Amino acid sequence: MEMFLMVLVLSVVGVLVSGVLFAAAMREPGRADAPAFGALAAREEERFFMLRPAVRPAPPVRVAADALVLQIERHVRLEHAAAEAFLLFPTFEALHMRTLSPLVR
Amino acid sequence: MTREQPDLVSGLPPEEATAVLALGAPMTLAAGAVLFRLGADAECLYLIRSGRIALTLPMQIAGREQDIVIEEHEPGQTLGWSALVPPYRFTLKATAPLATEVLAVRREDLLNYCVAHPRVGYAVGLNIAAVIGQRLQVFQAMWLREMQRVVGRVHA
Repeated sequence: MEMFLMVLVLSVVGVLVSGVLFAAAMREPGRADAPAFGALAAREEERFFMLRPAVRPAPPVRVAADALVLQIERHVRLEHAAAEAFLLFPTFEALHMRTLSPLVR
Repeated sequence: MTREQPDLVSGLPPEEATAVLALGAPMTLAAGAVLFRLGADAECLYLIRSGRIALTLPMQIAGREQDIVIEEHEPGQTLGWSALVPPYRFTLKATAPLATEVLAVRREDLLNYCVAHPRVGYAVGLNIAAVIGQRLQVFQAMWLREMQRVVGRVHA
């Protein structure tokens, strides 16, 4: 009788443990886990690939401003040269001669 | 100097040109140094002996003030003629993009010399007028070109 009860208890415990494990294996990824995993994935992505522009928003603006300064200075040089050419041979055509400036296209 | 005669003393006999240049005090500017700032009192006229001077004006770009190069001057050229024109304030900022040497001629010294030597003063006056006139004509043409583009946009 004791032997029978022991086998019965062990069997019940085994079935319960198997059931719990089966339920855990079949359960869909819980919503509670998602943010933590997502945040971890995002950090990894930013660290290794640096694909997210929102991580460093300042440099692109600075680069754009610096590029614009260079464009303006090139424009001024071209306009200056055009004006000097006009002074050498003052005609209407020379005064309004086109340049290669990207700012006036 | 790389040129035979700086534009300030162009046309003067060598001994008179040397006497005018002797009024100046040599200055050495490191790369990036500011010779004068926009709005500062203009006491001196400058002759570039070596290197280069960039004249800039400030613009507001992307919320920041940026100096835009308007003109660059080379050895032999004169700048800072605001020192001779009331109200004697610089209307541009001058910086040395590379190591540069200039000769700083004080307004008072130059005017006193010109009063004492009228023939030299006449020649120097004409040379300064040529420098100022060239700037005026170039910027007048640049302004008109810009106005033509504005008119073109309005009537497009």
